[in-house]
Amino acid sequence: MAKLSEYAFVASMITTGLALALYLFYAVSGLRAARMATAGGPGASTPVGLISGPRTAAIGRYASILTWLATVFLLVSLVFRAVVTGHGPFANMYEFSMAFAFGVLLTYLYFERKYHQRILALVTLPVALGMLLYAATIPADIEPLVPALQNNLLLTVHVATAIVAYGSFAIAFAASYLFLLQTRHMIPVLATTAIGVGGAALGAITGGADGDKLALTYGMVGAGASLLILAIVDWITNRGTPADELASGRWGLPKPMVLDEIGYRAVVIGFPFLTLTIILGAVWAETAWGRYWGWDPKETASLVTWLIYGAYLHARVMRGWRGNRAAWLLVIGFLATLLTYFGNLIFQGLHAYGGLS
Amino acid sequence: MTHEVNSRPLPPAATTAPAAAARPSAMDRVDGGLEWLWHFISSMRVAMIIMLAIAVLGVFGSLLVQAPQAVLDDPAAKAEWLESVRPKYGGWTNVFDTVGLFQVFNSIMFRILVAALTISLIACSIHRIPGMIHTARNPRVDVGPAFFEHAPQHEAIVVRRSVEETREVVENVLRSRRYRTLSSVDGTVHIYADRFRLAPFAGLAGHLSLVVIMAGAIIGGMYGYRDSQFTLAEGQTLPVAAEPGVTIQLLDFTDRYDPTTGAPIDYASQVVLYKDGAEVLRHTVRVNDPVRYNGLSFYQAFYGAAATMSVKDDEGNVLMASEGVPLAWTTNDEGRKIGSFNIPGTPYVGWVTGTLGNGDTFIAPGQVRFELYTTGEGTLVDQKVINQGEAATIGNLTVTFERESQFTGLNIARDPGVPLIWIGSFLLFVGFVIRFTVPHKRIWGRIVSRPNGGAVVGMATLTHKDVTAGSEFEHVVNDIRTALAAPTQA
Ligand code: HEM
Repeated sequence: MAKLSEYAFVASMITTGLALALYLFYAVSGLRAARMATAGGPGASTPVGLISGPRTAAIGRYASILTWLATVFLLVSLVFRAVVTGHGPFANMYEFSMAFAFGVLLTYLYFERKYHQRILALVTLPVALGMLLYAATIPADIEPLVPALQNNLLLTVHVATAIVAYGSFAIAFAASYLFLLQTRHMIPVLATTAIGVGGAALGAITGGADGDKLALTYGMVGAGASLLILAIVDWITNRGTPADELASGRWGLPKPMVLDEIGYRAVVIGFPFLTLTIILGAVWAETAWGRYWGWDPKETASLVTWLIYGAYLHARVMRGWRGNRAAWLLVIGFLATLLTYFGNLIFQGLHAYGGLS
Repeated sequence: MTHEVNSRPLPPAATTAPAAAARPSAMDRVDGGLEWLWHFISSMRVAMIIMLAIAVLGVFGSLLVQAPQAVLDDPAAKAEWLESVRPKYGGWTNVFDTVGLFQVFNSIMFRILVAALTISLIACSIHRIPGMIHTARNPRVDVGPAFFEHAPQHEAIVVRRSVEETREVVENVLRSRRYRTLSSVDGTVHIYADRFRLAPFAGLAGHLSLVVIMAGAIIGGMYGYRDSQFTLAEGQTLPVAAEPGVTIQLLDFTDRYDPTTGAPIDYASQVVLYKDGAEVLRHTVRVNDPVRYNGLSFYQAFYGAAATMSVKDDEGNVLMASEGVPLAWTTNDEGRKIGSFNIPGTPYVGWVTGTLGNGDTFIAPGQVRFELYTTGEGTLVDQKVINQGEAATIGNLTVTFERESQFTGLNIARDPGVPLIWIGSFLLFVGFVIRFTVPHKRIWGRIVSRPNGGAVVGMATLTHKDVTAGSEFEHVVNDIRTALAAPTQA
């Protein structure tokens, strides 16, 4: 069983990689078609999204099928593992990273079905793949649960709601990222991403599996910090995105208006789920430690995340904040989500899991 | 607030005239200032900035090590604590300390922000309630013609029927879709239809639930009781300070470990609670399974070694029979486990020091050191290293170290704010879920007769069409169109 779980995990990782490659193909093929369509001179109306020629559409369909497969593999892996361990995926970072990736894939598929914007996969699938790769580098040992974690039902639900929230926030991040790419800030946004991905890759190469993760950390922190600076600069210099800019797009990417809507829809799912996660965490803390809130670093980070998305829900309906400014809040919200998630590695709070000492 | 929310503006004619504008204030300056303050504190922009500011503090609070409250209360301990983190933060240590970042959640800044958010939540809700009630109860039915041309979604249908007939058809369709309909006639027929008119109140409940949660936290802080250092050895019975007449006894403590990894699996304390000497309940307290009695909760927190002792006086009267003494303290120099107990019926305190294990020549395994002090001055009366199971004479007492045992460390808490926390949490979740899933749907209609027979129906709504999904408004309009196109009966 444990072996089967591992095979399914590897299969899922490979399938996710292949799906991402196909989505890239799909994007290139579609973008080329879009460019040819808009090359008709100034004033040519920009298309709603990618122009799907039959070829592009076929690639897209295969990419979706692979994503479904990857999700099923991951589910199988999680189920087998749960059967072996006798509990939900919350005992260590390996299990929780798999669950995180599963949440991202699942919410992506939901949004793909609902909004037909496959381009979102270009941002969400790397997040899922990154989580899976990360899971692959850390010990997968099955260890007995420490007493505090022996609250099977509550913790399983706590984790399940957390991954739905995190998955939704990944979608919101993808949507806001593609939104910002189409505004004037595209070059800094791309550069920041390059720093982050480059730093992370450098870390993976130099740091190795569970060795020194310094470069990785610096890469991520660097990317996060520069995104934050960009956000602040944009908040100060730009007030909201005008309606005409929302309605037009660039390079055949989904229109900013559509991305704004998707980002909002994702938060409308993620926010209540995060609320529930925090409440269940408080219930658990109350039964295990006798206090519902203790400013434990992980608790605090989840509250920070919650506040940022709460702020976003207001920003989105405020004059001057619609569009780019609100979109930045989604980027920052996702940074906070990652901080909450990887917090275990930095914080030495009560949430410190086993398997990573 | 309404001036800031631009996604759902009211129809031009339906804008509830701001109360302030309606009656020009006589007391100019003060009123103006108050009004400005009111606008400021009930503004969504300000609320959002407060939320983000708390988030920024939270980031520091989660990334930087936070000093325990006990450390902060004691300048010497604080200095020591600062030195212990100095290697980590270097020159920043003093800066962080000055700004209060080592105790973010106790800082003045944090308290001010939380208070401001609470006030803002209350102000905001008060500000909204009248408008919300008005919208739910007597919404504006007659809106001007311009609205039907500029609303986010609007449609016009030309029909052959009379105005009255048309009105009936339109209202029937709306009712069959479970809309409530209101109408007024002034030459033109105005129709207002809505569904889920109470749904916006769920959003209000969601916001106010946060005030409930803060109230719970404040009540807990003011009237709560917590003893996180309560130790109880096997066989020992101790009074519970927070509840007069209640005593708690530990029958047995068990700790289990995984045989291969050595990771802890279980900590279990079998306890009995007595009220005025009579047993009231029995429970095995585990990490996720506290025992609760009369508002008090007992949680498994820690554990350690204890010594089971018996004491007799010089006449052979039993002062203490096989009672555990928790060795919950650690000596500074050698790191020995040590604990003390008052010897009943004597003016003495006994201190018991444990062994360091194999190779300890001073107190070997199977031995403890016993020191007898007077209760008041704390003068040493006598001391001895004694063997397990052998009665030894110390001072004028006979002391026996019966056996090694264990003590359990319990966290005893009473938090009267907790029910409010759970009520608030429930309202928070349910409130926002309803707010997100059940929109208040509103549709306005307007029927005017055409000069040469028939009528024109205008329909409009304030919700924007979902950019990708279909729209309820379209469905409604289609239904109405179909119904109106059907042949007229008689
Ligand atoms: C931690 C504090 C807060 C949280 C978590 C919170 C959360 C929310 C949420 C989830 C919504 C629904 C958004 C939507 O449907 O798009 C909302 C709307 C709103 N909030 Fe807040 N809010 C908070 C504080 C405040 C404060 C202090 C104010 C007052 C200035 C305020 C005013 C509003 C208004 C006017 C709306 C729009 C009306 C409505 O949707 O009901 N909020 N808030």
